[in-house]
Amino acid sequence: MDRHEAPGGASGRAPRPDADDATPLDPREGLAIVAAQQRRVRDSDIDSRVLFGTWGLAWLLAYGVQWWESSTSPTGTATPRGGIAFGVILLVALVVTLVHVARAGHGLAGTSQQVGAMYGAAWAIGFAGQGLVVAGVVKAGASPEVVAVVANAIACLVVGMMYMAAGALWRERAMYVIGAWMIVTAGAASLVGMPGGYLVLSLAGGGGMLVGAGISALYRRRA
Amino acid sequence: MTEAELDPVIHSASRLRVVATLAALERGDRISFPRLGKLLDMTAGNLSTHLRRLEDAGYVTQTKTHVGRTPATYVELTATGRLAFERYTQTLTELLKGAQQ
Repeated sequence: MDRHEAPGGASGRAPRPDADDATPLDPREGLAIVAAQQRRVRDSDIDSRVLFGTWGLAWLLAYGVQWWESSTSPTGTATPRGGIAFGVILLVALVVTLVHVARAGHGLAGTSQQVGAMYGAAWAIGFAGQGLVVAGVVKAGASPEVVAVVANAIACLVVGMMYMAAGALWRERAMYVIGAWMIVTAGAASLVGMPGGYLVLSLAGGGGMLVGAGISALYRRRA
Repeated sequence: MTEAELDPVIHSASRLRVVATLAALERGDRISFPRLGKLLDMTAGNLSTHLRRLEDAGYVTQTKTHVGRTPATYVELTATGRLAFERYTQTLTELLKGAQQ
């Protein structure tokens, strides 16, 4: 790196920035600008803290209610009142998610939006499948406890698989690990049986997602 | 590594911000003109001036489409633009390293 130019020589110097950008860029400033804009773009993207936080809280409450209601019911499974509370809580979480995702994707087009649409559809298809399997189990004459175990375990399994897929697609390790944890939770809840399984889904499932929210908050602060 | 090697098209605070923002999107993603303006806190007039300069250099493409009935412009970094940005930031990093030694 040799420089033999005369001090203050005007010819052959680096091109000066435009007049509207009066201050010349030094390398440190330039890199700071790049980092700031990367942060800005990331902050406008889907925030896994919001998703983990929303769903963690929803599972904690919804399955907490299910457990509370079912432990006093004669069948040891969900009551109509518990079912309604469960549905309302999850519906609120779904609306929060859809609004958040729509806001993040607004004004964007191309590859990531196509990937996101396919991923979103996979959730809907997965839960449509879960509904059909549950209907089949009911039709086959399963007891209320078997229906409850199958319905919630498959739902939890779908969630776990989708989280793992998201973790792999968007390289979010926390998402992947929590996905694997949800699959363990599905198995544990099934083995415990109802009504205890509801408590497993509430504490391990909902709690696990809240831990996920905490981990992604830590990652974000460090990034 | 000298400052003379810095790409003059990107070597301005405003255009560096525009290119850095576009480069932060996923490869193959387009962003609407209003959203880009919001991410940059830039007025429409200012942004179009910089985008024209970047388009002339072959660093960005602007596509006009319709969202429903309203016309919309989408902006995308070209492969050339992404390469130029990567080279530019690499040069900055090396300049900084050189200055610290």
